[in-house]
Amino acid sequence: MKSESPLGKTATLLVQQELEKFGETKGVTSAVLLTSDGFEVAALKMDKESASKLAAMGSSLAAIGSAIAKEASLKECSRLIVESEEGVVAVMEVPNVTPPMSLAVVANDASILGQLLWAAKNCCLGLEKKLKELITA
Amino acid sequence: MDTVASNEFKIIFTGPMGAGKTTAITAISDKAAVSTDVVNTDQAQCEKELTTAALDYGQIALPDNSCVRLYGTPGQDRFRFMWPILMKNAAGVIVLLNGDHPELEQHLEHFVEAFGEGRDVPMVIGVGRLPENDHSRLERLAMQLEQRGVALPLFDTDVRKQDDVLLLVDALLCLIEANDTGRMEA
Repeated sequence: MKSESPLGKTATLLVQQELEKFGETKGVTSAVLLTSDGFEVAALKMDKESASKLAAMGSSLAAIGSAIAKEASLKECSRLIVESEEGVVAVMEVPNVTPPMSLAVVANDASILGQLLWAAKNCCLGLEKKLKELITA
Repeated sequence: MDTVASNEFKIIFTGPMGAGKTTAITAISDKAAVSTDVVNTDQAQCEKELTTAALDYGQIALPDNSCVRLYGTPGQDRFRFMWPILMKNAAGVIVLLNGDHPELEQHLEHFVEAFGEGRDVPMVIGVGRLPENDHSRLERLAMQLEQRGVALPLFDTDVRKQDDVLLLVDALLCLIEANDTGRMEA
């Protein structure tokens, strides 16, 4: 089983900074950047075990989302939201990165859905930019 | 409107990464199978391009108008949370193994134990990539099962061949039927 992040140390640090910035969003309790096959790349406010678990579950959700979108003749599934009285879990794709990655975020009932999704989307775009810069550098 | 199938069976294909679960379901499904394949970044574990992150799904209609729903599990332990979800209301389990893998025996133990040793629901085992005309590995696996105190049907299976996979399904359906008859008589 893999124990290391698929990114190098510099990339992991930059990714972590993006997650820290996102973590300031109201209601966010944790987040994990994951590969599409369920490995944790970086995590925010989570221990290693919880992050690994959320990474695996997040990737399964994203894969089911893509399969359903395909069945419904939709082009892709860019975001998936699990809502409950106590909070929200959202999994969204980080566009144009290799290997393919998603961001899974967990927020409590203090969060405002629109604000959370907006911040998460910006985080994904920030991650895309940082990872692209690293590749072209 | 489609005719409603008089009998429906849900069966599970499981086994380690690279054993051929997605291939097996694709080989026998009447309609295009649903897959949740994603890019595999763990080449050290298994050198293949894609891997299943959630489930595979296919279905076959039998001549008696019954329908067999085929569900494939992800093989990696990190996706273990999917196993009980997929096992809910399953009538039987097919364990697929890669006969060429150095950890073949451990894989057998792991999956047979995780999916109930055939005690909760019937189980059959298909082993692929075996050397031609050499049944020593199958015999070794059979002995291993015997030592555990379980007797499960073992087959030499090429998951790319429809007939091989259908043989596994047939064997499992026979066990399911025998099990149900036994339950009714009990």
